[in-house]
Amino acid sequence: MSEWLVDAIETDLDHFHLGPVDLALRPGQAVAVLGSSGAGKTTFLRTLAGFLPVRRGRLLRDGEDISSWMPEERSLGYVPQGLGLFPQRTVFGNVRYPMELRGRLDANARTEALLARFGLTELKHRHPARLSGGEQQRVAIARALAAEPELIVWDEPWQALDVEARRELGIVLTELRETDGIPVVVVTHDPALAFSLADSFIVLDHGRMRFSGGANDLLDRPSDAFVARFVGYENIYDRATLEAGQDHPFTAWLLGSAGPEGVAFGSPEAVPTIGVPSTWEGVVRSARPSPEGLRVELAVDDLMVAVRLPRTWPARLPTVGDRLRFNAEATAVHRLGSGKRTAR
Amino acid sequence: MNAPPPPTPVRRGRRWRTGPSWLALQVVLSGSLLLLFLLPIVALFTYAPVSRIVAAAENVQVREAIWVTLYASGIAVLASALLAIPLGYLLARRRFFGRSVIESLVGLPVVVPHLMVGLGLFFLVLPGSPLYTFTNAIGFPVYDTIWGVVLVMAVVSAPYTVLASQLSFEAVDERVLESARSLGAGPGTTFLTVTMPIALRGIVAGLLLTWARAVSEIGGILILAYAIYPGGPYNGPVTSTISVYIYNLFQQGDLADAAAVSSFFLLIAFALFLAVRIGERSGWLPWRRGDLTP
Repeated sequence: MSEWLVDAIETDLDHFHLGPVDLALRPGQAVAVLGSSGAGKTTFLRTLAGFLPVRRGRLLRDGEDISSWMPEERSLGYVPQGLGLFPQRTVFGNVRYPMELRGRLDANARTEALLARFGLTELKHRHPARLSGGEQQRVAIARALAAEPELIVWDEPWQALDVEARRELGIVLTELRETDGIPVVVVTHDPALAFSLADSFIVLDHGRMRFSGGANDLLDRPSDAFVARFVGYENIYDRATLEAGQDHPFTAWLLGSAGPEGVAFGSPEAVPTIGVPSTWEGVVRSARPSPEGLRVELAVDDLMVAVRLPRTWPARLPTVGDRLRFNAEATAVHRLGSGKRTAR
Repeated sequence: MNAPPPPTPVRRGRRWRTGPSWLALQVVLSGSLLLLFLLPIVALFTYAPVSRIVAAAENVQVREAIWVTLYASGIAVLASALLAIPLGYLLARRRFFGRSVIESLVGLPVVVPHLMVGLGLFFLVLPGSPLYTFTNAIGFPVYDTIWGVVLVMAVVSAPYTVLASQLSFEAVDERVLESARSLGAGPGTTFLTVTMPIALRGIVAGLLLTWARAVSEIGGILILAYAIYPGGPYNGPVTSTISVYIYNLFQQGDLADAAAVSSFFLLIAFALFLAVRIGERSGWLPWRRGDLTP
């Protein structure tokens, strides 16, 4: 399997500019490209696949610059959003297609083998329109493998799948990396799904790369407020807000940990008793249930702080106007804007 | 233990649940239109006794007119397939300056009275004009020949193929094409193995419309090729297309013969369309194979 290097790639699509984006891919590695809609995720994948021109930078496969190669020359399995299955061909015809192009004599046998591997043998005479979302995904991946790609890039693989199909797809994608050793780039707007598969991450925002690195870096050292919000931090304050309220003890305490762009921390747990070190107090403004327990918005000084109440909460549930204590560890508060942006 | 839930019955196809008044409205409106189609045909057959229809079928002049009509319309359809499908593809896939102008130009022969189209072509190939000299020199004289019929038919009917193929190509999901490219197919292979098979159904529908429109043409032909002299593939006595032939019978007051020839041609046209439809339904004709809709 090849090693891939995306070296400061830039492209333009109408009035949208993407890049520079950097990425290194070893065999068997999985990278998730994260970002909200319009961030440039699909543009990035289409540039990798050769459907958009590389304006600046290089795309290297085993050291060879393939930036100007045609899509069909790149040995890159691109699965677009919606999968791009051929509607007029059966499951068998879809999976066989890449081998027909190559004039392989063992096309039928290899197609059968791929169908068997992905549990599609029973469905081989069906057309894509007659398959469930999960089955269509498996056809797409079997067809991509039939072309013997050196890299698979997949736009929103989890889109429109139910929970069970998502779990199955996770297994398939993991197997692809581990058994076939094919590096995988997936695009998603859902960080939770990205964490279930990828070991390294790129975060795009309005065409700019805001983060590149591993899971721990992404969770523990979010580079800026956008990335922090994106990966699920609920309490994010910019430096100006903290400086304006530094007469208050909690705000001043946060300011002590702040970087140039402020701080971020996850929702701390509320604590029932006072006297624990680093305990703060606030007034309940709203409370609603969530899978992790009750999520409570507290007014602390001039700030709104989200905290969680564990399901084992001993006292009566708090209502608006109650006072509630919570515990915030200095180690859980991350400075924003000072961390390194990119890790090659 | 709970008993397992009863199996849900599988529903094949979806039906609207509607009240009887809604259904009645549909039947009345659709039925009225069908009657409008059917009654003139009934009137024709009422006016033409079977013996006259049989006589028309055996008439050499009628046969020649029908042959010329079907031959010329067939060539017009082939020309449309060759020239109009690429234009439809261009309009569907490319964005360029002046695209709207071209689209309007394509629609023009459909919307203007066909006499005008014939008149335009007439002035274009007027004896003495460069095109007159050129078409005669290469052996395709158009004035009062079968090639003139082909020319008129192609100009007035090809827009249907352009429009149908443009719509069909536009409906092909770009991402499907990108998949094909990524799987190793070049642009030409993608066009032949993916784009065309998906778009074929719509394009064939357009070609059928083109053919139907070509067969029914009269306005332009009256001007450019009212009488068809031998030349090219036609070597019989002077004749005309079936539409002009019937028009002449009507003009001469020969109403019973006009009705008989019309009835005979209606039978042929109906048989041809029915054969195509049955072919499509049964899967003999390739463009409707596979179930493309969920």
